[in-house]
Amino acid sequence: MASVSLKQVRKTFGSTEVLHGVSVEIGDGEFVILVGPSGCGKSTLLRMIAGLENVTHGEIAIGARVVNDVAPKERDIAMVFQNYALYPHMTVRDNMAFSLALAKAPDTVVEARVGRAAQILGLAQLLHRYPRQLSGGQRQRVAMGRAIVRDPQVFLFDEPLSNLDAKLRVQMRAEIKQLHQRLRTTTVYVTHDQIEAMTMADRIVVMNAGHVEQVGTPLELYDRPANLFVAGFIGSPAMNLLEGQIDGGVFRARSGMDLPLPAATECQEAQTAIYGIRPEHIQLRDDGLPATVYVVEPTGSETQVIAHWAGTPVVCAFRERVTARPGDTIRIAPEPRLAHLFDNVTGLRINGLQ
Amino acid sequence: MPDGIDAPRETATRRKLSRRNYARSYWLFILPAGVVVAAVILFPWAFTLFMSLQDMHVGSAMSFAGLANYRRMLDDDRFLWAILRTLYFTSLSVFFPTIIGVAAAVCFNKHFPLRSLARTIFILPMMATPVAVALVWTMMFHPQLGVLNYLLTSAGLPPSTWVYDSATVIPTLVMVETWQWTPLVMLIVLGGLASLPADPYEAAQLDGANGWQCFRHITLPLVWPFILVALVLRAVDALKAFDTIFVISGGGPGTSSETLNLYLYQQAFAYYDIGFASAIVVVFFALIMLVTLLLMRRRSATS
Repeated sequence: MASVSLKQVRKTFGSTEVLHGVSVEIGDGEFVILVGPSGCGKSTLLRMIAGLENVTHGEIAIGARVVNDVAPKERDIAMVFQNYALYPHMTVRDNMAFSLALAKAPDTVVEARVGRAAQILGLAQLLHRYPRQLSGGQRQRVAMGRAIVRDPQVFLFDEPLSNLDAKLRVQMRAEIKQLHQRLRTTTVYVTHDQIEAMTMADRIVVMNAGHVEQVGTPLELYDRPANLFVAGFIGSPAMNLLEGQIDGGVFRARSGMDLPLPAATECQEAQTAIYGIRPEHIQLRDDGLPATVYVVEPTGSETQVIAHWAGTPVVCAFRERVTARPGDTIRIAPEPRLAHLFDNVTGLRINGLQ
Repeated sequence: MPDGIDAPRETATRRKLSRRNYARSYWLFILPAGVVVAAVILFPWAFTLFMSLQDMHVGSAMSFAGLANYRRMLDDDRFLWAILRTLYFTSLSVFFPTIIGVAAAVCFNKHFPLRSLARTIFILPMMATPVAVALVWTMMFHPQLGVLNYLLTSAGLPPSTWVYDSATVIPTLVMVETWQWTPLVMLIVLGGLASLPADPYEAAQLDGANGWQCFRHITLPLVWPFILVALVLRAVDALKAFDTIFVISGGGPGTSSETLNLYLYQQAFAYYDIGFASAIVVVFFALIMLVTLLLMRRRSATS
């Protein structure tokens, strides 16, 4: 196991710079997820750690060793690819044993390591099958088995669950997390799915357009998003963002209504700002502001309501069962303690800066 | 509403009926193709088989000979040597184009400047007319006036006898065959290489494979079905090679490059022994089928 350190890493393809100086420190044994929308550079960054892309500028270190010019096979890492990248002409056993065979490991070692990986992943019955005879989830497991057999310093996962159906994805999510808890190998995991990031990571690196937007634990990102991008990206359904200005101790939304300011707001009077409130932090209150219900989506555990609040659509998620029907008026209020304020020019968080 | 219920059932029955009618008239559509196949493949075949059982010389009466023509082959040294020579020629002209073709395909699968131009130049031999090419090679092989010996002596090497010596004639013919048909193998294998997924290579890179190991353990097994197709085509082509050999050496010196095809040509059109030549054709056909089937079997075993 080893730490991974990225210092001011840049990457250009031709004249296009796709990573603009990324610095992240990943601790020994940590499970870090790189998350961001398509094209934000997260996969490129992972491939650079793997050595499949060269580093244009900056420094990548695994453990104490700078690996910028080290060949992928010398880096002591294992990677699980999005489409598994299994060797189609080899059996499950041979797929997993390939790296050991190349390293000319003795048969007993190969058997032991492959056997252990197969047992961890429940592949023991499938060792003689070919990849084409396996289901998506099984192929995914073989790809992980191939990584485990290597017993590497670092595991790299490149969107490993995106080709699986929803149910299997949830199951594999738990398995990967369990695997990490069992092996404690440093893991860097790339996904565009923020739920995956929230549920699995020790720490999340939110990326956007080649920049790191915020690094933190899942709950830090949820509770204290550093900017508008993170606020909108983390959390499902997404945070409601209302434009307006801070005026006389309240937030006056553009549509005219006044919302209570979050505690400890350090800002000048009469500043334009964006007020963020998560759907689950809006409550039904008799003294709340009136809103017109547009859509009601009961999910069983909660009820999502899309309502127009003085003309602005907001999404609310209520734990209680709501009997309102479209067209009805409900009275709702944000929980001021849990509201977020952002500068509408820079997009940075205003209230409660760390 | 009885109409509403009955209507779909009625259309269903009608559809089934019309489908059956189609089935009845299918044979009309395959009739033209069937006539052509019968006229140019089945009839010649049956007639060849018939002729092989006759004592039949051009210009003389025909009589039934039973298996005499086939029995004659067993005692005919020239025929047996022709078979061995055919196999010798075929194995060499399958081996070299395949090795060089695969190597060339791997090279052309990589990016380098002027790749398209180089590839076009590489496949030019395949597009040339075999007889014209053979005539040019014949000139180049001339011991005194040919450019090849001039080049050899200029480089300080001893001149070769090329097609004028029974020891060198078949390797020389194989050289021409290789020059002309390596591009075909290259094209087939290049098509295969282009269809290979890229990600197993990245996985192999991380698994610690070097360039040769990637080729040996990933490229070769994955592209093997394509190589087998090239092998089958090349084997069939080499077995029935005629024009190049006929023009360059005519089966000589003596009979030292006389393959089965040339031998049966001699029997049929020089000695006019149509019965015996037909019997050779039947055996030749069996040989080609056997080699092809063996290769195809290898193919289905791997895929």
